[in-house]
Amino acid sequence: MSGLLHLIPERASTLADMFEALFWYITITVSLAGLLVYGALFWFCVKYRRGKSSPSTPRILGSERLEITWTIIPLLIFLTFFGVGVWVFNYYAHPPEDAMEIFIIGKQWMWKAQYPDGQRVIIGGNPANMTEAERNSIGRLVVPIHRPVRLTMTSEDVIHDFGLPAFRAKMDVLPGRYTTMWFEANKLGEYHIFCDQYCGTWHSLMVGKVAVVEQGEFMDWLAGHKPLQGSDNAVDGSLAWEGRQLFLKLQCIKCHSDAANSGAPSLSGIYGTRVALDGGGAEIVDSAYIHESILKPRAKIVRNYKPVMPSYEGQVTPEDLNKLVAYIRSLKDGRPPTWTERFPIPEGAPTERPEPKSPEKK
Amino acid sequence: MSTLTERAPLASPPPPEPIPAEPNYLNNSFSIWSWLLTVDHKRIGILYLVSITVFFVVGGIAAGLVRLSLVVNDSSIVTEDTYNRLFTAHGVVMLFFFLIPAVPAVFGNFLIPMMIGAKDLAFPKLNLASWYVFMIGAIMAVWAVLAGGIDTGWTLYPPYSSRSSTSNVIPGVMGAFISGFSSIMTGLNIMVTIHKMRAPGMTWGRLPLFVWAMYATSLIQLLATPVVAITLFLLMVERAWGVGIFDPALGGDPLLFQHLFWFYSHPAVYIMIVPGMGVISEVLPCFARKNIFGYRAIAWSSMGIAVVGFLLWAHHMFVAGISFYSALLFSLLSMLVAVPSAIKVFNWTATLYRGSITFQAPMLFSLGFVVLFTIGGLTGLFLATTGTDIHLHDTYFVVAHFHFVMVGGMVLGYFAALHFWWPKMTGRLYSDWWSRIAATIIIVGFFFTFIPQFVMGYHGHPRRYPNYPAEFQIYHVMSTAGASILGIGYLIPAIYLTLSLFNGQKAGANPWAATGLEWSTPSPPSVHNFDTTPVVVCGPYEYAIGVDQMGRGLPEGPGEGGPLGIASHEGHPSPPGPMIKETEVVG
Repeated sequence: MSGLLHLIPERASTLADMFEALFWYITITVSLAGLLVYGALFWFCVKYRRGKSSPSTPRILGSERLEITWTIIPLLIFLTFFGVGVWVFNYYAHPPEDAMEIFIIGKQWMWKAQYPDGQRVIIGGNPANMTEAERNSIGRLVVPIHRPVRLTMTSEDVIHDFGLPAFRAKMDVLPGRYTTMWFEANKLGEYHIFCDQYCGTWHSLMVGKVAVVEQGEFMDWLAGHKPLQGSDNAVDGSLAWEGRQLFLKLQCIKCHSDAANSGAPSLSGIYGTRVALDGGGAEIVDSAYIHESILKPRAKIVRNYKPVMPSYEGQVTPEDLNKLVAYIRSLKDGRPPTWTERFPIPEGAPTERPEPKSPEKK
Repeated sequence: MSTLTERAPLASPPPPEPIPAEPNYLNNSFSIWSWLLTVDHKRIGILYLVSITVFFVVGGIAAGLVRLSLVVNDSSIVTEDTYNRLFTAHGVVMLFFFLIPAVPAVFGNFLIPMMIGAKDLAFPKLNLASWYVFMIGAIMAVWAVLAGGIDTGWTLYPPYSSRSSTSNVIPGVMGAFISGFSSIMTGLNIMVTIHKMRAPGMTWGRLPLFVWAMYATSLIQLLATPVVAITLFLLMVERAWGVGIFDPALGGDPLLFQHLFWFYSHPAVYIMIVPGMGVISEVLPCFARKNIFGYRAIAWSSMGIAVVGFLLWAHHMFVAGISFYSALLFSLLSMLVAVPSAIKVFNWTATLYRGSITFQAPMLFSLGFVVLFTIGGLTGLFLATTGTDIHLHDTYFVVAHFHFVMVGGMVLGYFAALHFWWPKMTGRLYSDWWSRIAATIIIVGFFFTFIPQFVMGYHGHPRRYPNYPAEFQIYHVMSTAGASILGIGYLIPAIYLTLSLFNGQKAGANPWAATGLEWSTPSPPSVHNFDTTPVVVCGPYEYAIGVDQMGRGLPEGPGEGGPLGIASHEGHPSPPGPMIKETEVVG
């Protein structure tokens, strides 16, 4: 049994500092209000107890002025809580443009982190529930200090919640969609990761550690020089590299090749741009949109293209999707994907795409 | 600013003590069928009282085992699977089968007709049916949590509950589904009764505030419960037949469940707490011998809570993946619902001003309610504020907040009601000394149990964790120690209330010298409550003048110390009967 907790829990992010300001503003305000009520209650109970006060009581029915006062004043105070809360929540909900992205995948009962240009690390979970290889790969979520980090998260099974109490941030992790949260760590050290949404038997063991390290160390680690993640596993290939293998293996390149008449939009340099959609509207190409376009390609069609792409639902896992997103993200403008020796053009495949048949033409 | 709102009614001398009813509703027949087929609202209230006491014990034992296992920070006392089943059992049983029916089905049933001067509820057979439906649902759910158990938590979030859990989800959900219809029947019955069966002169402005609170509660029961019925039904369909509704792997949307679930379950916490507020509004004026301060404000704040309570459900979902702007909207609306609760607390406090206060058990429980509910309400503001909820959500802070409102508030309100109306229901007085001791122990034990949980939650300790980091252990030990005190506090009333049935002093018709119509009947009341239809001439809390709602003088108020009862005012001079008094204006 260890000693008492600190008055203020450890703070390790910019959000935590804002949270504490808000938390203590509310705490002090409501404590004063509570003490006011308790003081009155206690004073009346003592002063007007039977025997000390006149047994004859006055007939007091109420006071409109008091009712209005104690309706308006609490409401105004509560609205300041709301307002300052929005200030903090707005900061939490909107990651900066230049945030470094890390993918988080939750499953019963394991957290996995994928860095866009390097490693994959198991950052927590119940060892009793893992394979031998996975057990050896349990490490920490390594993040650099003073640099915004955006977590893009999804779940393979049920709802989880990625909670970082030292950063005062948490976000549910849902199957079938991406959620994001971000933080900027400002204190070196190692902190808890908790699963905060009940997810079954080992929910309470779906915990891990996040390590905040110096930026230089972090770069060294990303390059594979330092095993800062704390596990024995070797540095894995970059996500984008693996995404490329998939891109070829799944024959995505047959259409998305930048060739004339390929029938599919070019992907080079498309990430982060705005594309016009068929039937009006536009969409920013981000991980959520790419995710949707692979699983449900007909949901949002880029203008001037036909809805011919088949769905890859069931063929790709969430991990695969992350790889493909990372790959598409890595494609620079004017540098289209190319075949490799390992994945040549299939024998007998048409080199030119036929015109899609349109029902109007008879 | 304020004005005379009504003239003080003319008073007549105290009525003679009514002759004890022979037979009364308890002893007119002793056969088992006279209970099982009764359509008397009072007997049905007693049936509910016995049933929910059993469920309270079941839920309490589960809570005790949860607290016991948390003394250590690993799963060495109970396994994780057992722990998950225990906290689910605690939540499901306490919420669906104790808190929701506690005051509405027991005291609502028993008191609403008597308070408005009616002989029974509007639909007596529907009332009996509601008890049977409740018992079918409750037995099914309790069987599910005892035989094998459910491990989803009472919130039942899919896809865990629909796909992943291997426990008895369907029987448990079916039990909650069925008992929901009982809640609808009770709500409907009470609402119709209040509309149609008020005695002559019982205008809306003269209804006791408990009746107003029950009216607001019935509104929520009627409108919200069907939504949870649909939700639970869809959940069973998905789990049983794999129809994709909530599970994304089947094309469903897990957030849809959360929206539907909280659309009921947020108003449902008002089903639980608003009746308790009604009880407090009855007890405080009686023991302060004062008119309630701000009758209209309290009545309308109940209705305000009922209506605004429907607009807040997604404040449980700020970090669940809803949009930024919907989080802002629901945070803003949540601030609005805090206001009517604050109004009630201020008015209750003001009611004590210049009173003549005694501290029997109902009053102690009520004061405990005000103190603990205030903490529960104020800590709710942390969770309604988006910026603080992103850290506190799903931690022990939520657990502590919820228990402060539901146990510190509602259970104390329930105990206040039980102690206040026990003499009316049973015709017996319980031990005054022991009841005060029990009230004190319960309040102290409660503080020790749940204050440490606020600290743990602030430090990020997630809820539903049988394994936890070592730094939290001392707080869990403190909490469990407090829970032990609380458990003892709950046992004491079980003993002295039971004993009072056998050797308690006979209660007069009006042992607290209270003003409501229910006190004009003998204790226990006759089968049809009133021999002649009462005629109401004034508002419900004319303690200052000393008249009841029929304009008759009151017996003297409950004394300080000494045995509790109508003769206990010796040595405590109280105004002899009704007096002419001017309305005073404050503020």
